Amino acid sequence: MALVELRDIRKIYHVGDQDIAALDGVSLTIDAGEFLCIIGPSGSGKSTLMHLLGCLDTPTSGSLLIDGVDVSNATDDQLSRMRNSKIGFVFQAFNLLPKLDVLHNVELPMVYAGVSAKVRRERAIAAIERVDLGHRMYNTPLQLSGGQCQRVAIARAIVNNPKIVFADEPTGNLDSKTGETILTLFRELAESGCTIVIVTHDNNIASRLPRRIEMRDGRIRVGVEAAKSQTAPLLVSHPTPQKGEEAQP
Amino acid sequence: MNFWFGLIIGLKEIGAHKFRSFLTMLGIILGVASLLSMFALTEGVARGMREMLAASGGVQRVEVNNKEPSEEKQDLAFLSPGRTMDDVAALEKGASLVDLVVPEMNQGMPISRDNKTLRLKAIGTSPGYFELGILELEEGRLLAQNDIDQVNRVVVIGSDIPGELWPENPSYRPIGESIRIMGVPYRIVGILKHYESNAAKRKREAGVSDAQLKRRMARMGKTKKKMRQYDQFWEKNHCIAVPYSTYFNDFRTASNADGSPNRKLDRLSFRVADIALFDETLTQVRSILDRTHRGIDDFGFDTREEWFDNIESSIRATRTSGSLIAGISLLVGGIGITNIMLASITERIREIGVRRAIGARRHDIFVQIVVESGVIGVIGGILGLLAATGVVQVLVLLSPVENAPIITFSAVMISFGFAVGIGVISGLYPAWKASTLDPIEALRYG
Repeated sequence: MALVELRDIRKIYHVGDQDIAALDGVSLTIDAGEFLCIIGPSGSGKSTLMHLLGCLDTPTSGSLLIDGVDVSNATDDQLSRMRNSKIGFVFQAFNLLPKLDVLHNVELPMVYAGVSAKVRRERAIAAIERVDLGHRMYNTPLQLSGGQCQRVAIARAIVNNPKIVFADEPTGNLDSKTGETILTLFRELAESGCTIVIVTHDNNIASRLPRRIEMRDGRIRVGVEAAKSQTAPLLVSHPTPQKGEEAQP
Repeated sequence: MNFWFGLIIGLKEIGAHKFRSFLTMLGIILGVASLLSMFALTEGVARGMREMLAASGGVQRVEVNNKEPSEEKQDLAFLSPGRTMDDVAALEKGASLVDLVVPEMNQGMPISRDNKTLRLKAIGTSPGYFELGILELEEGRLLAQNDIDQVNRVVVIGSDIPGELWPENPSYRPIGESIRIMGVPYRIVGILKHYESNAAKRKREAGVSDAQLKRRMARMGKTKKKMRQYDQFWEKNHCIAVPYSTYFNDFRTASNADGSPNRKLDRLSFRVADIALFDETLTQVRSILDRTHRGIDDFGFDTREEWFDNIESSIRATRTSGSLIAGISLLVGGIGITNIMLASITERIREIGVRRAIGARRHDIFVQIVVESGVIGVIGGILGLLAATGVVQVLVLLSPVENAPIITFSAVMISFGFAVGIGVISGLYPAWKASTLDPIEALRYG
């Protein structure tokens, strides 16, 4: 079933007396369990699209359903709830809180979800062990390498069992070898059933994912997606359902 | 968000910038310290005054004093006999709302025994004197109506007199012994209890002996005489009370310039039977005295109530002005907190963005910042209270015993509450600013 459904989304920014359409009529469906990427040059609208999908912002017009909930006109508090319970973020710059140790960084989303301290601790430990950092539990981010930081960020993103994880250039600040291990981690997560959306401008990454959505000038490029998704080597072992309705008619 | 979590974050934030946080708190610390010291000082003064008031007979006691008659009666003023025993008789007979009338004639006189002479105020009065002034007997008996009627030469003395007239044996209770008042021998029939203020009692119990006190006074360049004004019980302990009839016979019969007896009282006090009828009582007494004074309004009332009100209002005034100054200090401290919190959230815009991205609501961010500044207020308040305790200790050493500052629980709570309140209020604007940051902008920041 469709986890995310976008219908004719527009996002218009007012800059001075000019209106700039960052997204200009985007329709898209993402199914549960998909592992896909959004690719495009800077200024193509991919970040804006991710912000909308990630409930950090609301569209100017069009409808946006996430897990069956229409968030296109949601209030700030509703969006916060959505982000907290259904969405996980992984950023290029990791964005861990430098004063908290690994454990507390990972616990943080559950604090805002109102999970009790005991359960929080258990689930955080499980998530940290899942990204192989059980031995770094009480280190602060400053004592960790970039790859380790990103793994902590992933643990934080998945600790609330979100429906979908957004990764914005997750390998952008890492060397290629470390980036590879992070991608492998995402792949493992995808295999275990998590829906993952990677936003990148790196074709190397994009070409290895089961599905790619290419953005250009605020629109999804017609045809590219379907072609790529068929030729791309399937890195994910289980077959990914493809609907191919995302492109604009 | 969990309040405790916010508290922990706040403490960590303060711990991460110890010096900066301390400087921020300094305003609050000074504000609270000055507020509490001021409360303690005025409370000390108030206690001292209330103690003095209670010692002098409380608000029920009213004194009839001399007053300039009003202008149109000034030419007739000679008609009035002034305050005399006639007033006492008239009041005892007619003033139903008064339950005690006490006349007093007094004058400083040499009090001697053998070759030792004291110069003290001898008082000619009635038995009611002891009741009105709340003077209790330690040994012997008080003056009785019989003494008045029979014009006995008897005297009741304060507890410090024996020690000063019999210095060779301070514990001697000289009941039945004779002392001379202006050369006239009087027999001691009673010795009053020793009176001391609570402060003096505390001091004595803390082990400050007279010798120590004398040394201390010598060090401070004060003689015992100078210290008198600080002891409201000095007069009680140096009481020389004789029957007014005897006093009149011995000292007043030819004391006017023309050789006539001086019948005037030096003091006339009465006690209001029911404090609820205070004003009615004064009216009644006024109308009776109008008759005995032949319509000349040459008397007025000195009520302790007025005195009490004056004390209270002057304390209130001191308290208000002190609070204002301390309040300004607290306000400055609050502005300091606001300033630092604003700097702190600018430093942490990205952190706020991250918190928002992982699901913190605006409200959560708001609470976090307010809790942080509240914690500064709480810690500043606690340090301020400690500082005030130190300041008060110093003041206790410096100030006169009766007015030693006192820290009361409510003063502590008020000062502390102010500190916390200022901390929280100063955090409101930064918290609002932080909570309205756009998460996308905040994530991009820096």
